[in-house]
Amino acid sequence: MTQTSFSNMFDKFCSLQTGRAVYSNCCLNCWPVILMTALIVILTSPLGQAGHANAFAARAQESSLPQVVSSGQDVVVKLFGAGVGNLDSYGSGVLVSSEGHVLTVWNHLINVGYLTAVTSSGKRYSVRVMGTSKDHDVALLKLQNDNGDVFPFISLADIQEAEPGTSVLAFSNMFHVATGNEPVSVVHGTVAAKTPLSAGQGRWKFPLKSEVLIVDSVTNNSGAAGGLLTNLQGRPVGLIGREIRHLDSQTWVNYAVPLTTLKPVVETLLEGKRVESQTAGEDKRPRITDRQLTVRFGITMLPDVVERTPAYIDAVSRRSPAEAAGLRRGDLIVLIDDDIVTSVTDFQQHLAARRPGQKISVTVSRGQQLISIDLKVP
Amino acid sequence: MNLWKLVPGQLMTTAIPVAILCLTASVQLLAGTIPPNLQEREEARIEMLSRISPSVVCVMAADGNGGGSGVLISADGYAISNYHVTSGSGAFLKCGLNDGRLYDAVIVGIDPTGDVALIKMLGRTDFPFATPGNSDTVQVGDEVVALGNPFLLASDFTPTVTYGIVSGVNRYQYPAGTFLEYTDCIQIDASINPGNSGGPLFDIQGRWIGINGRASFEKRGRVNAGAAYAISVRQVLLFVEHLKCGLIADHGIADFTVQTASNGKVLVNEVSEVSEAWRRGLRPQAELLTFAGRTISSANDFQNILGIFPDGTRVPLEWRDKSGLHSGTIRLRPLHAFRKAPELPQDRKQPQPGDPAADEQAQVADVPAELQALFEERDGFANYYFNRIRQEQILDRLRTAVGNTTGESQSWVIQMTETPKAQAAGEPATWELVAGEAGSGLSSAGRDWYQPSDNPTPDNEPSQFAGLLSATIQWHRLLTLRIAAFDEVVAQGQLTHLPSNLPGSILQTQQGPCICRWYFKADQPMPFAVDVEYAQGVDEVRIQFKDWVAEEGTFRPSQIGIVSPQTEELTWLTVTKFQLRKAAPKPAAASLPTSGRISVADIAELTGTGDAE
Repeated sequence: MTQTSFSNMFDKFCSLQTGRAVYSNCCLNCWPVILMTALIVILTSPLGQAGHANAFAARAQESSLPQVVSSGQDVVVKLFGAGVGNLDSYGSGVLVSSEGHVLTVWNHLINVGYLTAVTSSGKRYSVRVMGTSKDHDVALLKLQNDNGDVFPFISLADIQEAEPGTSVLAFSNMFHVATGNEPVSVVHGTVAAKTPLSAGQGRWKFPLKSEVLIVDSVTNNSGAAGGLLTNLQGRPVGLIGREIRHLDSQTWVNYAVPLTTLKPVVETLLEGKRVESQTAGEDKRPRITDRQLTVRFGITMLPDVVERTPAYIDAVSRRSPAEAAGLRRGDLIVLIDDDIVTSVTDFQQHLAARRPGQKISVTVSRGQQLISIDLKVP
Repeated sequence: MNLWKLVPGQLMTTAIPVAILCLTASVQLLAGTIPPNLQEREEARIEMLSRISPSVVCVMAADGNGGGSGVLISADGYAISNYHVTSGSGAFLKCGLNDGRLYDAVIVGIDPTGDVALIKMLGRTDFPFATPGNSDTVQVGDEVVALGNPFLLASDFTPTVTYGIVSGVNRYQYPAGTFLEYTDCIQIDASINPGNSGGPLFDIQGRWIGINGRASFEKRGRVNAGAAYAISVRQVLLFVEHLKCGLIADHGIADFTVQTASNGKVLVNEVSEVSEAWRRGLRPQAELLTFAGRTISSANDFQNILGIFPDGTRVPLEWRDKSGLHSGTIRLRPLHAFRKAPELPQDRKQPQPGDPAADEQAQVADVPAELQALFEERDGFANYYFNRIRQEQILDRLRTAVGNTTGESQSWVIQMTETPKAQAAGEPATWELVAGEAGSGLSSAGRDWYQPSDNPTPDNEPSQFAGLLSATIQWHRLLTLRIAAFDEVVAQGQLTHLPSNLPGSILQTQQGPCICRWYFKADQPMPFAVDVEYAQGVDEVRIQFKDWVAEEGTFRPSQIGIVSPQTEELTWLTVTKFQLRKAAPKPAAASLPTSGRISVADIAELTGTGDAE
């Protein structure tokens, strides 16, 4: 399968070579340059696209694409929550059980606390977070329903490997084009590489150490995180990731985490078990103490009794910088600048990284609203 | 495979080995793994692209600046583009085709709400053109190609081809301000970039299915991000005749709003109490089931389907309330009624170098006289020249058929028998309809009604056929060619007539508050129907004419059908006798009674017909 589509690309490459040969008569020594130029042309030009389209078209014909597409659209839910600034208030998720378990990326949407899922039939559900895995950057959600609704879902047994050259379809709620009962968007592409990924967003670094799938089309748009990557037979192959940039090149990366990698994680979470983090390093970051937080800022947080205690403000001292800035008891701290705050500990670590006098923006969730508050670090 | 594709710095070191590997690998892989019909498919695609490419237009301002795309739709040079491409270029444009030639073009019609513009390219009668497909049957996953002029790449106007699939159908994209609204559009993942605007979207068989005009751009800048939107060819074709009439075409409103309830039903929210929908019985809380033939499953569905129709379209709808299922038709009313082409929002403007006002001046000065003759400026029109031409076409056919009536006054007496419906008992009703310049009258079973033409009121209309007399006055006026007596005459494109479901070229006449839409079949001199809005707040009267025959020096229909606004059923009246009386024109009878009943004999006398039996 993989070979088929690649061979077409190479075929194009060969014909390009023939085309270029005419010019090489007058520039015999420059063939490596020509060769490279040709390669770049393949990768960047419409001709390269045509080669790719060629492969895609041939593969698309093997099974009825509109049929594959509609089943893919049915298992992807649209998520709506809260966003701020560059962070979107919408996302995507993949149904992984008939009872309504949804696999998605563990991003800011999941942390804010109120989240609605809309299925392809247009039904709305409130959502509970069942479990998360920091190392895999995924969260397992459950659509809350008392009516015993049965959902279409991807079977973990159907998951397939994808390799470079595999033609794929990406299903997601990108740009929240689809609302209500509208099916999610689908784009086509080809797996371009399978590689470990060094990418991030602000201070956040993509945690997964194993290989991800790099796709040659723009799959990772706003709201696409948590969408589904399938092959042309409609078999699930990947979970579309975040909108992030490569750390070296600063280019946007279109990646998906292979579902073969996520399968054991999902199975563990479905059993109601915790996925232990293998990366302990991050928790060693320095943190501002409870006492300093109260004395300097005037903030007392919810007692940090469990792992990942949500960063709720328990009390704000009178005439403190926190009160002056407008923070209140009951606020859930969601962001510091563009960094997601996942717990009380995380909040204290973030604050430790800020110098006194530095201006920061603290985004809190209050009622059903996200409020950004500017604060100078005391 | 490593990440060389993403890291330009590493390309130098890895590209050559990879490239050489490719060459070796390809030789091995070519044997056996390629689907057998691949070459066939490729050849078919190459053939398709060479077939459709000549119809793709590179659209520029008259000074060669700016730039977008378009598509030719007829051999005489009509081409579709986006309003946001042609807006700001003035009345005249330059267009390039893939034959490498540059053609003059003039703006014909615009649809600012739908972001569509029609231009006419000049200099040939054999322009290559695209063949429309059916955008309603397009499915998500279908392969598509977009052709156009992204980044203004082609200096020889050869269109750039990008390939993709349909990512979504029936999509809605919010307007920019109040216009440039994309309803019921096609979402694609083919690369669409600045310059592609106005260019055609084709299915893989080469059928034209849309106009690419918009894309979701965000963090990555104004380049393709895999989500672009094409206006459906269905919508374009619903407007194309309006545009050919030189209009600033308008979209419609329904005079009621809906919302999606928590149970998923689409419920009517508010209904204007002076609307046709209200008169049909539509009330808040009713459940809207279908609109314009489409099942409505969300408020978005409603907005989507509403958005593709020109104002003035009559659409059917079905709803459910406590008393059961109901259906009816309503006419969409104007959304904007633009008198001038609206300015684009700042962020949607095409980059135009230099001072636009000065450029426009320069353009007009450079335009040859023969081209200038194809443009007439007038409020409410993109180019009045094309409206005048359409009016003249329709009226000339009518004049040729009816003959010269100047200098004479005619009156008609038309005897009609109601065409019996099945199982109808008793004698069919007979009617006598009288029409003259002063007014019209109707008589049946000893009852008479009279409507004067100088001060008609709804009270004078017969209850069974309310509006017939007002309509007859207008009908008589049109057929006696007293065109100048109308306050306004406009060619209004094409609308689908209901209940016949036939498309008709619209000639719209207005006299006082009375607006008539005359429906003409292509090349036919006589209208096949007329819808008459004769008074505010009452249902229009809708009349169909069947089998016009020449008689007594004019034309009269063999049958007249009158549509019941409540049931949409037609009552057919068969003309059994037609009499025409000519007389020298005389001033309108100022002494006519404006109310009360008078006899048909009186009417005949007053309208100059004389013998009314």
